[in-house]
Amino acid sequence: MHMDKPTKKLLIVDDSKVSRMLIRSHILAKHPDWVITEAACGEDAIALVDNDLPDYCTMDINMPGISGTDATEQILSKHPSVKIVIFSANIQETHQERARSLGTTLVSKPVTEKSIALALDYLANA
Amino acid sequence: MNNLSELHLDALAEVFSIGAGRAALSLSEIVGDEVRISVPSVQLINAEDINPATLSLNCGQFGAVNQHFSGPFNAEAMLLFTEEQALKIVSDMMGSQMSLEELAEFEHEAMCELGNIILNACLSAMADILGFTLESSLPHYAVASANEILSRLRKDNSQPYVMVLHIDLAIEKRHTAGNLVFLLSSASLTNLVSHVDQFLNKLL
Repeated sequence: MHMDKPTKKLLIVDDSKVSRMLIRSHILAKHPDWVITEAACGEDAIALVDNDLPDYCTMDINMPGISGTDATEQILSKHPSVKIVIFSANIQETHQERARSLGTTLVSKPVTEKSIALALDYLANA
Repeated sequence: MNNLSELHLDALAEVFSIGAGRAALSLSEIVGDEVRISVPSVQLINAEDINPATLSLNCGQFGAVNQHFSGPFNAEAMLLFTEEQALKIVSDMMGSQMSLEELAEFEHEAMCELGNIILNACLSAMADILGFTLESSLPHYAVASANEILSRLRKDNSQPYVMVLHIDLAIEKRHTAGNLVFLLSSASLTNLVSHVDQFLNKLL
């Protein structure tokens, strides 16, 4: 019997509109039925998650306002069911360790089919 | 062609943010500590309108690393730090208790290496993401005053556009702000914009 995969809700957090467009288009190519919302900073992401809990979230680190890792920590402390993947160009060991300590993973930018596949794989199995 | 749309600037800032991330990774491995980087901002300015404020050039001497990049577009890239900041970075890179005299001896070589890392990280990110190849010349380091730098940027009629990328780098909790400046000819700017358009068209 064929079982449809349940529709997922994804929140994309990135200060760059181009980056959000890239992530959105790569993910919709694989999962056209996913419902995607976007936030341009960590503060907006926290408010959006409080308002409408997503299944998954991609999170940039370097953004105006609080960092993506701080936003991740705040989101996970209130909503531990959200699966978050940190998507960043800032791939130094300090950030990789911080991501691990928060129970997430860091996938390095640029946003490509390959890096999106890594992120999706992590989200599906997290 | 004297204006880039908000989306062009966003795409370039994102490309350079990836470049800055690569540069920070290399630098953090050299200095053995975290290198904090700011969200980069990109501006396009007519060379004749450039002034000390646009480059955050106050007074004093500046360390400038120059490198020429060629490919589908050609650019003269310049990385600028105040000389005091340049010496702090050299001190972090050398990682020892060197005297100022000893540091000055290494300044030229270390700044060329730093420029090479940062400029190539930014330009290679741009080339990878926008899908072209750029060749780079060897880096050249010189100490110059703000006026000397500005007059050099203004006088080159063949390169009337200046693209300024502002990034803050903090090594070992010291705040160090650097400016990356690209000098572009009209033809090079047109080619760069057409590559950014091709990249954006795939998303729309």
